This record gives sequence, C-alpha cells and structure tokens, in this order.
Amino acid sequence: MEKARISIRQLFVMIIIFELGSSLLITPGSMAGRDAWIAVLLGCAIGLFLFYLYQGIYQCYPNSSPKEYMDDMLGTKLSWLFSFLYILYFAYIAARVLRDFGEMLLTFAYHDTPIIIVNALLMVVSIYAVRKGIEVLARAAELLFGAMYLLGAIGLVLIIVSGTIDPHNLKPVLANGISPVLHSVFTQTMYVPFGEVVLFVMIFPNLNDRKDVKKMGMIAMAISGLIVALTVAINISVLDVDLTLRSQFPLLSTIQTIKVEEFLDRLDVFFMLALIIGGFFKVSLYLYATVVGTSTLFKEKNPSQLAYPMGLGILILSITIATNFSEHLNEGLNVVPLYIHLPFQLLFPLFLFIVAVWKKKRREKSKGEEAKK
Amino acid sequence: CWDKRELTDLAIISAIGIDRTNDSNYVLHLQIINPGNVAGGLQGGGAGDRPPVSVYSIEGNNITEALRKASMKVSRRLYFAHTNLVVINEKLAKEEGLDFVLDNLDRDTEFRTTATFVVAHKTKAENIVKILTPIDKIPSNKVNKTLDFTEAQYGRVVKINIQDVLKTLAANTMAPVIPGYMMIGDDKKGVSMENTQATDPKAILQADGLAVFDKAGYLKYWLEDDESVGAVWLMNKIQHTFINADWGKTKDAVSLQVTHQDTKLVPKMRNGRPYIHVKVSVEGIIDAVKYPFQLSDPKVLAAIEKALNKELEKEISHTVKKIKKNKIDFIGFGDTIYRKYPEQWEKMKDTWDKEYLPELPIDVKAETYIRRTGLRNNPIKHQFKDD
Repeated sequence: MEKARISIRQLFVMIIIFELGSSLLITPGSMAGRDAWIAVLLGCAIGLFLFYLYQGIYQCYPNSSPKEYMDDMLGTKLSWLFSFLYILYFAYIAARVLRDFGEMLLTFAYHDTPIIIVNALLMVVSIYAVRKGIEVLARAAELLFGAMYLLGAIGLVLIIVSGTIDPHNLKPVLANGISPVLHSVFTQTMYVPFGEVVLFVMIFPNLNDRKDVKKMGMIAMAISGLIVALTVAINISVLDVDLTLRSQFPLLSTIQTIKVEEFLDRLDVFFMLALIIGGFFKVSLYLYATVVGTSTLFKEKNPSQLAYPMGLGILILSITIATNFSEHLNEGLNVVPLYIHLPFQLLFPLFLFIVAVWKKKRREKSKGEEAKK
Repeated sequence: CWDKRELTDLAIISAIGIDRTNDSNYVLHLQIINPGNVAGGLQGGGAGDRPPVSVYSIEGNNITEALRKASMKVSRRLYFAHTNLVVINEKLAKEEGLDFVLDNLDRDTEFRTTATFVVAHKTKAENIVKILTPIDKIPSNKVNKTLDFTEAQYGRVVKINIQDVLKTLAANTMAPVIPGYMMIGDDKKGVSMENTQATDPKAILQADGLAVFDKAGYLKYWLEDDESVGAVWLMNKIQHTFINADWGKTKDAVSLQVTHQDTKLVPKMRNGRPYIHVKVSVEGIIDAVKYPFQLSDPKVLAAIEKALNKELEKEISHTVKKIKKNKIDFIGFGDTIYRKYPEQWEKMKDTWDKEYLPELPIDVKAETYIRRTGLRNNPIKHQFKDD
C-alpha cells in the first residue's frame, strides 16, 4: 500500500460501484413513499455538492494525506482527534454495510446458517483484497463493473419483457406536496448513498492525475444517481408503493416477478450476485479507509498487516451492533443519518473546505507578495 | 453446511389447497410431484399407471403448525419454490378473509408470490388439488394453463397471482378479484389414475367465474359467465373474445372476433363530483354471420360496427350496474380518481364504496373497427330465403 497509483477511470468505476452497492439493496428515500425516486434525484444533487467539497479540499493539498492536511489546518492535536473519529466512522459504516449484506443472504437463502459465518466469509474476501492494496482493488473494480453492468442491463430488459412494470403506480406525483420529499432528502438520500462518497478523500491521494477528478467524479455521481432513481422507480411501478416499503429488499422482490414465457423465472440468485459485488466493494473500500487511516495515525510502517485486526474488529462489530434486523434498520434510519452522517459528511468537510480555500488564498497572496519583493 | 439441501431429499410442492374443518382447524392439502412418474411419458411405460402427484392433507391450528406437522406424513423436506398454485376454500374466504393466509405466504422466502391464486367454487379446495387431469399430467399446471388460455381466448376469467392480490389489498383504492375453479363430476373417482385413462374423465376441473372480495379481503359475491366478461373488459384484460350483435329480427346475426382492444377509464370532475368516462376501442375480424350481409360493402361494415358498439356498451353497462349495486370497487374506478385527483380523493376515500360508488356516473363509449372479414367476403346467400 505504499505509493499506489490509480487512474481516473478506475476512480470513476469505483465511485459508481460504491454508490450502487447498498442503495440497490434497500429503498433509498423510503420516507417519500411514491416519490422516492424524486428524493433520490434531489439527494444526488446534494451529493454532487458534497463531492465538490471533498475534491475541493483535496485539490488544495494534492500531495498530502487527509491527516497531513488536517495537521496543517487544525494543528496536530485536533487533527489527531478528528482522524481518530473518522476511522471509527469508517469502521462503523463498514460494519453496517457488512450486516446489511449478511442479513440479505440470511433472509433469502440461509435461514439456519449463523450470521457470523456469512459475514466472516464476506470479510475474508475483503481483507484479502485490502491486503493486496488499492491498485488491485481498483483493477478488480474495472473488471467487475462490467459484470455488474451486464447483469443490470439484462435485468432491466427482462423486467420490461415480463410486462410487470405499471407506470401508473408512480402516479399521483407529489400527492402530499414537496415536503415529505424534502424531508426524505435531508434525512435519508443525501447521506445514503450519496454523502457516503466522503470515503473517497482517503482514495484521492492515490490518484495519478488530479486534473479530471472533479469532472469524472461528478459524472460518476450523476450516473449512479440516475441508476438508483431508475431502480427505485421500477421497484415502485412493479410492486406498488406499499409492497416496496414493506419489502426488506425491494429489488429482489422485483426480480422475483420476472417471468418470461414460462421458462425464464426465479432469477433472484443471479441478481444477488450483482448485489454482492457492490457489497464487497463497499465493505472493502471502508476497510481500506480504516486501515490506511489507522496506519498514518499510528505511524505503522506496514499498513497491510493492519487489515487482519481491523477486519476482525469490523466483523465483530457487524454482529454486535444490533440484536435483530429491525433494530439494525431502525438505527440506520433514525440515528445514523442525523448524528453520524450529518457531521461526518457535511458539517466537518464543509468547515475543512472553507479553511482550505482560505489558507490557499493566503498562501497564494503571500507568494505573490514575495514575488513582488 | 447449515442450509444444504439435496435434490433427493426435497418434496417439490406444486400446489397448496387450504380448507377448514368444522372445529375450525385448517387443513392443508399439499400436491407433491412424483418426479419419476412425471418423466415417464412416452418412453417410460412403467410410470403410466402411477399418479404423477400425491396429495397429503394435514390438519393444524394454523398454517405453520400444519406445515411442520406434515413432516410426519411426508418423507422429504417440503420445498415451496416451485409452487405455482394456491387454492383457498370458498367458505374460508367468506368467513376469515385472505389476510391470515397471505401474510404467511408473502413472508416466506421460499414460496414465490407469483403463484396463481384461485378460489374453489362450489367445492372444497381439496378436490381442486386432488383431481388427476388427463392432458397436463400435473394438475396445478392444468389449472394455470386453463386460466392463461381462457383469459386470452374467452375473456371470462383473469389469472391473478398472490402478489396482485397483495398489491390490491394494500392499495386501499381497489378490491381484489380472484378467479374461481370448480370440479365437475365424481370426486371419489377423480383421484385415481382411472380418471386419466378414459376419453371422458369422471371428474374434471373447470375455470368458473370471478370471486369478488371487499377491501378487507373477504369474499363477497361471485360474478359468473356473462357478467364477468364486462368486468374483464373494464379491467382492460381482454385479449381475444367475441361480441355477438343482433340485426333486425335475427338473434346474434354477426360475431366479431376481437383481436385488439384498449379500455380506458378516464376520471373527470364535474362540480366537485367525480364521474368516469369509459372508452373502449376494439379491433376485430368478422367470425361468423347468420344474415346475408354485403360484407364487401364498407357501408354495411360501418353499420355492423354501430350494432356491435351498442351491444358492447350494453354488456359493460350491465356489469357496471351490478358493481354499483354491490358497492365493491374491484375495477379501480376509485384508483383512477386517486391517481388524477389525489386531493379530492382524500375526502372521498373513506366513504367511497358506500356513498360515492353507487352514485358514480359512469358512461361507456365503445368504438369498434372491423378490420377484416376472414377468408370470404359475402356469406352464402341461399341460406336466408325467409328474410
């Protein structure tokens, strides 16, 4: 994990896979009910703004790690504290995503298997990937992006061919006005999945070219926003709003309705594959961020060794954060966005962005003055 | 491994029938496929005399209990992923509604909610599951295929799956309809292989009518034969059917075979009161005539189209009247209003069925287009000398 170099294209696919990872699994914007897809699109718009902040900070300090530029801005003590909190944040979200996917597999296929086994298997793969470093992860992303894309396209075609889509289910649009949609945007969709892209501040320093980060990153965010909104809209038009909201995993329920001419049906396992690809990347990237963050914080020379203990910790955390699935979801909906996502995704980066821009201005100014002298 | 399953240890269930005993226990009838006897077919020979399915009946206080109890009778693990038919007893549907059975089936991860749902009409669910059928070896397939083709060709029934019913019950703007199925003949003889070995089976299964449920999921009344066709038109589910129209004194002088149709329910508001405009456009081919029409003359065709319009409007209006009288909106008139006028609907939704529906003005406008007249133009004239 020393001087890894990833290309802008790899960043692009990683952002898309990362954004789609768990948002396809759950219903983003569920509070907006029938208008969830609008909430997703608005959330994506805010996500673009957030991404602008994150990459803005990076552009001010292109050659330093997040810890280093926080040192510069806040002084070492405060910077240490914030770095530490961010590591906890990444580890916690990694555990949440891991739990999401473990629960999905248990609910759908493995009723009798203990969740720790399923989660451990997922974790082992992630640990392996993180040990190999971000370059390997990025190349795997390029490869699996194709697979995911193909599965998604096939799924879309099959759903359309099955004729289960009824666009009438999307009407009436905005029946209760815009306020439930805005409520959902500010409590749900802007954080998950779009604000989660804050993780990429840990990835940016590995880029070999920082010129197009803003453009490509924003395109990737917009594309994933459109895909998620489309998925949500399809879920609602196939299942109707009530069933979508009552489904633990609406996309899988939608996939189950695929039935093409009596021979192509029961394809859910096929599409679970696509979801697991997304889940694997999400967990791996969070684990990577945790490991890298810890190693810079504690000045560990060989960061890849940290993958084991961190992975094990996240695994245990994923089992212990909730006693049952409902509790897990409830925390995810009511506690995490406001108390955890909001400060880590918006408030703190916004503050850093302002400081970074201000410092940069001053630096340029003093440089200019020096030049005059 | 915790969740391993061997194919040889699975009892693949093709259909579930749900009845109730007199002391209000549920009885589950599980139609289990005997793989060896199905595959027999042409080359097998030996398999021909054994039934392709076996039915086990289990009693219990609720469905979960009955299913667990089933392990005492069935040697294998019950496997529901291929269940494509659920039959519910008529009386049970009337008295207990659908909620209890639907929740259990919907929650289960193995069971597919794309399974077809039917109500056993004038018979027990047991008989629908147990009768052996001659052409399609597996009875649940026969029921499914019959519904498919009847819906497509005749338009008197609709095929409904569990998920459709769940969606309708949840939407609260509509009530569900579920097709009925009956058994004609001798239920004692129908369960043996003999039934499939005669050209005239002693017991047959037949699609029959539509069961109309209220919003709470209780069966309220049946729509049978000619009444049901109007309902299927209104649901916009007709694919092919026929329309007969009289001409002068000749009854059913012309039959139109419907090839395409589109029925639209257009909600409108007049002085704050809703009304529905039903627009049906039909394309078809002349199938048979009993009157010496000059079918090569476009003017005659136009006149026939008019007669057909009137007939179709009459048919649909007849059903509309019945729907209004029974105060159950299973077509979704309320639903169309909700989609277009969500604010006004808020005020109407609680009393929709009782107050608004019986008074709801619904006008039906049909437009028929005769596209072709088959292989011949004019009919044989000498048959109609008396005219």
